[in-house]
Amino acid sequence: MTSKGERAEAASNAPAIEVDRVTKSYGHFTAVDDLSFAVERGSTVGLFGPNGAGKTTLLRMMAGLARPTRGTIAVDGVELAPDDYTTYRTVGVVTHETMLYDELTARENLRVHADLHGVADPEARCATVLETVGLSHRGSDRPAAFSHGLRKRLSLARALLHDPEVLLLDEPYTGLDQRSVADLESILDGFGDRTVVLTTHDLERGVDRCDRALVVDRGRLEADLALDDETAFTAEYRRTIGVGSEPERSGETAR
Amino acid sequence: MSGFLRAVYRVFRKDLRIERRTKQVTTTVAVFALLVVLAFAFSFVQTLQRSALLGRGALWIAFVFAGTFGVTKTVELEDRNGALDGLLVAPVDRSAIYLGKVLSTTVFVFAVSLVTLGSTAVFLGYSPSVSTAVSIAAVLLVSAVGFAAIGVVVSILTFRSGLDELALPVLLVPLVVPLLLAGVELTAALESGAPLGGWLRLLGLYTGIVLLAGVATFEYVVET
Repeated sequence: MTSKGERAEAASNAPAIEVDRVTKSYGHFTAVDDLSFAVERGSTVGLFGPNGAGKTTLLRMMAGLARPTRGTIAVDGVELAPDDYTTYRTVGVVTHETMLYDELTARENLRVHADLHGVADPEARCATVLETVGLSHRGSDRPAAFSHGLRKRLSLARALLHDPEVLLLDEPYTGLDQRSVADLESILDGFGDRTVVLTTHDLERGVDRCDRALVVDRGRLEADLALDDETAFTAEYRRTIGVGSEPERSGETAR
Repeated sequence: MSGFLRAVYRVFRKDLRIERRTKQVTTTVAVFALLVVLAFAFSFVQTLQRSALLGRGALWIAFVFAGTFGVTKTVELEDRNGALDGLLVAPVDRSAIYLGKVLSTTVFVFAVSLVTLGSTAVFLGYSPSVSTAVSIAAVLLVSAVGFAAIGVVVSILTFRSGLDELALPVLLVPLVVPLLLAGVELTAALESGAPLGGWLRLLGLYTGIVLLAGVATFEYVVET
């Protein structure tokens, strides 16, 4: 167990996220295979790859929702460990699912999470994040009555409640129409210098949004590319993944 | 209040608020328990003079069925929309989340047990003295804690591993047999004034063990 002082020192020098030789296996199936990389503070990194590549598993491990079979993950210089939940204060997570209760209103949902995160003045903070995602007028409605796009926005509001330094977004654009994508983009634009890691199949949007791309296939890191040239990245991505030469691995569980 | 207890209370309060709004668990489970008692009343109408035996049987059979249904409903709530993940990404001890779920499930199962106890008096003529009824209620409460402690872990395991909902009773019921045995025997002993000794120890010990086992294993059950 590290002391607070040691943690603060580690946090000031360390990358926002450090993944070191991480493997995740489910029985004989290896979802993530000996993967290492670091994410610099304030950067936006995209995890790209086909279905079943291991992107979501990796993101879930970074969020503390799954435990690596081997290897370590550190957030802000502090290694994720069982029974140590301090790093959860610095991470906000949006996954495929909204993590919301349909029986509660939008505001009540946010209040549950604000209380669990120990947010100071939770009522005011809930109002602020609802405004940030443009849902102030829907606070008293239940998410069950929301469209997919609005549910996604509320999920984002939940992730922002505790003002996290790191945001993990799993397929943020999936299932959204153009207007919802534009709304989401403008919200993401307001993230400022937060560190963002996102997974996406939308190469075009991913390239626009991210500074750097990690291409994952079959659980392995196949490429680590700067995203200053979209055409070069797309060509490299297609070459790495072999798009066109290999059918989508629809038989595998998409993780 | 410490951070740990505050987290337990917040998970419990959230479940209570949802239940107060939907009444999904208590209403459906209470109706289900009532139907069990009614089925007993109609099936054994000729032998109602043995009301103590019937009442006891109906009470504990309804307890197991209603408890299984109640646990399924409270955990299903967390399975929908990945809500459990929302709790797990909060900076709180996962044991607190587990104990919050156990507490809310206990309250629901115990409330339904009390309704069942009342309905056995109405439909089966089962009428223990007030002091015996209070003692039986205490046994039901401890059994509800044990049932919830096992039920929350097993049902989350069932949901998270993608097993069919029907697999839950198959996994759960064998694990609650000691609670059921102790509960039935304690109810009989309370009625007859026989010593409670061994069965009371079994109930207390087993409940304590499953609760501790739940606290120790919950983190591994939810991390997939």
